[in-house]
Amino acid sequence: MGDRTAEIGGANDAGKQTNWHKISWRLLKHELRRGELTIMAAAVALAVCAVLSLSVFSERLQLGLVERSAEFLAADRILRSRGDEVPTEWLQRAQQENVASARRVTFNSMAFANDELALVDVKAVSDGYPLRGHLETADEPFTQGVVAEGLPGPGETWVQGSLFQQLNLNLGDTLEVGDSEFIVTRVLSHEPDAGFNVFADSPTVLIHFDGLAATGLIQPGSRVNYNYLFAGSPADLQRFENWLLPQLDEVSQRWRNVQDGDSPLSAALERAERFMLLASLLGVVLAATAVAVAAQRYAQRNFDAVAVMKTLGGRKSQVAKIFTLHLLLLTSASIILGLILGIALQAAVVGWVSGALGYSLPATGSGPYVLAIATGLLCALMFSLYPLLRLLKVPPLRVLRRDLTASGLSRWLHWIISGGTIFLLMVIYSGSAMLSLALFAGGVLAMALLLSISRLFIRASRQAGMQAGSSWRLAMAGLQRRAKENSMQMLSFSVAVMLFLLVLALRHELLEDWRGQLPDDAPNYFVVNVANQQAAPMQAMFERENLPATAMYPIVPGRLTAINGTPVRDAVSKEERDDSEYREGFGRELQLTWQADLPEENTLREGRWFAEGETGVSVESQVADRIGVGIGDELTFLIGADEFSVPVTNIRNVDWNTMQPNFYMVFSPNLIDNMPATYIASFHLPEERRPELYSLFREFPQASLIDVDDILQQVRDVINHVSLAVTFVMVLVIGAGALVLVAQVQASLEEREQELVILRTLGARAALLTRSITYEFVVLGALAGVIATIAMELSIFMLQTQVFNMEASFHWRFWILGPLVGAGVVALLGWSVCWRLLRQQTGNLIRQLT
Amino acid sequence: MALIEASSVSRNVATTAGELQILSPLSLAINAGEVVAIVGTSGSGKSTLLSLLAGLDLPSTGDITIDNVKLNDLDEEQRAILRGEKIGFIFQSFLLIQSLTALENVMLPAELAGSRNAEKQARELLDKVGLSDRLTHYPNQLSGGEQQRVAIARAFIGQPQILFADEPTGNLDSVTGGKVEALLFELNREYGTTLVMVTHDDKLAERCDRILRLSAGELLESNNG
Repeated sequence: MGDRTAEIGGANDAGKQTNWHKISWRLLKHELRRGELTIMAAAVALAVCAVLSLSVFSERLQLGLVERSAEFLAADRILRSRGDEVPTEWLQRAQQENVASARRVTFNSMAFANDELALVDVKAVSDGYPLRGHLETADEPFTQGVVAEGLPGPGETWVQGSLFQQLNLNLGDTLEVGDSEFIVTRVLSHEPDAGFNVFADSPTVLIHFDGLAATGLIQPGSRVNYNYLFAGSPADLQRFENWLLPQLDEVSQRWRNVQDGDSPLSAALERAERFMLLASLLGVVLAATAVAVAAQRYAQRNFDAVAVMKTLGGRKSQVAKIFTLHLLLLTSASIILGLILGIALQAAVVGWVSGALGYSLPATGSGPYVLAIATGLLCALMFSLYPLLRLLKVPPLRVLRRDLTASGLSRWLHWIISGGTIFLLMVIYSGSAMLSLALFAGGVLAMALLLSISRLFIRASRQAGMQAGSSWRLAMAGLQRRAKENSMQMLSFSVAVMLFLLVLALRHELLEDWRGQLPDDAPNYFVVNVANQQAAPMQAMFERENLPATAMYPIVPGRLTAINGTPVRDAVSKEERDDSEYREGFGRELQLTWQADLPEENTLREGRWFAEGETGVSVESQVADRIGVGIGDELTFLIGADEFSVPVTNIRNVDWNTMQPNFYMVFSPNLIDNMPATYIASFHLPEERRPELYSLFREFPQASLIDVDDILQQVRDVINHVSLAVTFVMVLVIGAGALVLVAQVQASLEEREQELVILRTLGARAALLTRSITYEFVVLGALAGVIATIAMELSIFMLQTQVFNMEASFHWRFWILGPLVGAGVVALLGWSVCWRLLRQQTGNLIRQLT
Repeated sequence: MALIEASSVSRNVATTAGELQILSPLSLAINAGEVVAIVGTSGSGKSTLLSLLAGLDLPSTGDITIDNVKLNDLDEEQRAILRGEKIGFIFQSFLLIQSLTALENVMLPAELAGSRNAEKQARELLDKVGLSDRLTHYPNQLSGGEQQRVAIARAFIGQPQILFADEPTGNLDSVTGGKVEALLFELNREYGTTLVMVTHDDKLAERCDRILRLSAGELLESNNG
């Protein structure tokens, strides 16, 4: 007999190799057709799609911005050297590494024309400039230019519009700079590397580098900026950089790249990136939750199948193979679906954004694809691992003893596997174990809190329900009876609603914050050099012409000479190496002003604003930190021939992103108001009124105009597109949240199917049952909404203050929206599933149950 | 020579109140080709005895042998193989796999055992039970009687030596139950299978060769029917 068993068993082994996958495939095919696995597949596909489209999109957007920022530098890298030229061997090396280079030399000088004199910014550039971006020139000042080919020829110059105004220039006029004369051939309307410094910006006079020496302006000791511009592919640049950096002189040479964060956009972009990262992580966690809920339901539905297979002779290994293959096939199909959707989605979004930006976003590498596939696999496999293990543990005896389920598997295993996976995902996404640990610990704490609150609520609602009508009573009784299951359900409802609210609120906050910085009527022109007696007429002109403008700020040039009696050079010399820029700013001329009130958009960090009659100075916070001064320190200033000392009364935070005159030092009004001052203001001129600009300022010939529309436009562009991306992320997170809700409602209704059938068999009217279930879900959803709102408010407070560096805010709207959305969505889902169930014949239902 | 033999078999379960004996020590032998009914009131231990005889569960004491193979010596895996080779099952609640069609449900045991012509055998059997027009229907598209006929076809596909039936007509009305009963006996005769059946139905029990009567976990009598 033993021989016979062995013989049949051996034959079976060979056969089994060919059959288990057929069974697996068949099960999968039918379950897919019947929609049993829809939620799991959809959740995995959504996670993959979300991660892929988001990471591809944000990477492409970032690459695009880096490219754009490169245009702002007119190069990918800049070597700035003070006062001296660099060894020619460095430039040869660049050439060898396929890195293009160009020279740019800038300095201040006086220019003469038509018997008038003006301070200008001479910019001599070599062939190839600009390496990134383009120059634009026009026929008339302050008009739209066209892209310029090449550079001014020998003996020619292109100059900025405001110089035309200052020197009464016309095209063809001669401009004297140093020992040379140049014919003005074009109006320079756009320079990619114009930079933005209201005070330092004298009009640019662009000449060819070859004509520079003849001007005789470069003498030993002249203040000249030598810039070497480089551009090339990232790999070539990297090699060149590796070779060059060790040779740089740290004091006199500075290496800049586009990521240095000088852009006024960097803060906004950093926030957006963090938001996208956080949101996609939340989306993935939601999708994983949906997978976990759906997988558990799936496993429960297959308990009988496993018991039957084992009873009918299926080996444990066969059953394991059948269901593992099943899961793998489902996962692969879902991942592929997610990839296809993700590629399509990001292509659509990138196409849309590129169209709006006016330039195409660069392509990305394989990183996002790897990340998306890894996320899909982790989500699908890790979150269904525990249900699968449980499924495989179902004993064959279940065929006779229907109450038997899997035994010997601790629920802790489930928590460990899921928790570990979420933590792993967090680390992958944030790239920081510490941040992940903090987030994770916070999450676990919040979950525990949510769970206790939801149990409390359910208990309380029972009391309330006792006084209500029959549908309500039935609903509350149901709620109470399944308190344990319900509190878990409520937890996942709450988490889904909370994440949804969180993303909604954060998006709102970010957009408001950005819009607040750049309203539609944000100033797009600065007017400087306004004479004392013209300040009032100009202000009157702004009012008459209906141009929104800031106050007129007086400017008195001066120097900071000493801190607490120590000359400035000495006081800050230890920082010389780190920040030679700032040092220079303080060793040289400062633009000083006085104000009776704290300037708009500034906030006090320390101290208080000047009391009436008090003398003192208000210092910008970053400057205060750099030069190491605090409240009460004595600063000595030199204005003209007068030297005087004042105490620091307060430290101010200044938002440098606002388009208004901002100052490092603001004096109390009574101190320097007798000094000769010029005035500065900024104002908004609508695009369509641009042609009026020239005539508006004809009566103020000494005043200079600085056009910052280009910069504003770029900031707006970027913010618009990042806003789009942020909205797009939100839609994906909402999708993931909805999946969790659907999965959870379906699972919970399956649990109460039996009860429904019994009540129905006993003659309960469909309307009563539907109502009672809908009420139960209304209560569950509303409670979940309340809990979610509390959790959201706390999380957003933490995120705003800790992650996004924003002001904390309270969101009263969400206290209404949260419970409403929770109750509405959950009840609607519950009602629809219940309605479908009750439409079937009772007999049919009973058969399905047995 | 008995095909199934149980000697001094008992089954205890642990409860919070201590050890509870649900089957007192009993011995019995069932010969090849015999048709045996196990009867008794609810909770008398019928299903427990069936689960032990079929190797779905192990006795607390005593030994069970099937075709000279001692079940106690086999682990879960080996018992599954033994069931696959020698035993067929019919359940009160049919226990068809919901996501497989009638044909695929019948093919399942043969495929698990590695048979190469599972589909052909399954088609023939479904034809025999009168369901050749229901091959691609899912269980929930079939009536109770039809589902039980699919289950019968599934039970016979491996040409088992022994067929265990747990209340095979318990979920069916008397007319349908009668038809299913007739089909079961007909196929049993045709295949010469040993049939062990748990039932409440005295009339059904009387059609069997022998009746084992259980009460409160004790085997009261073992009569020829």
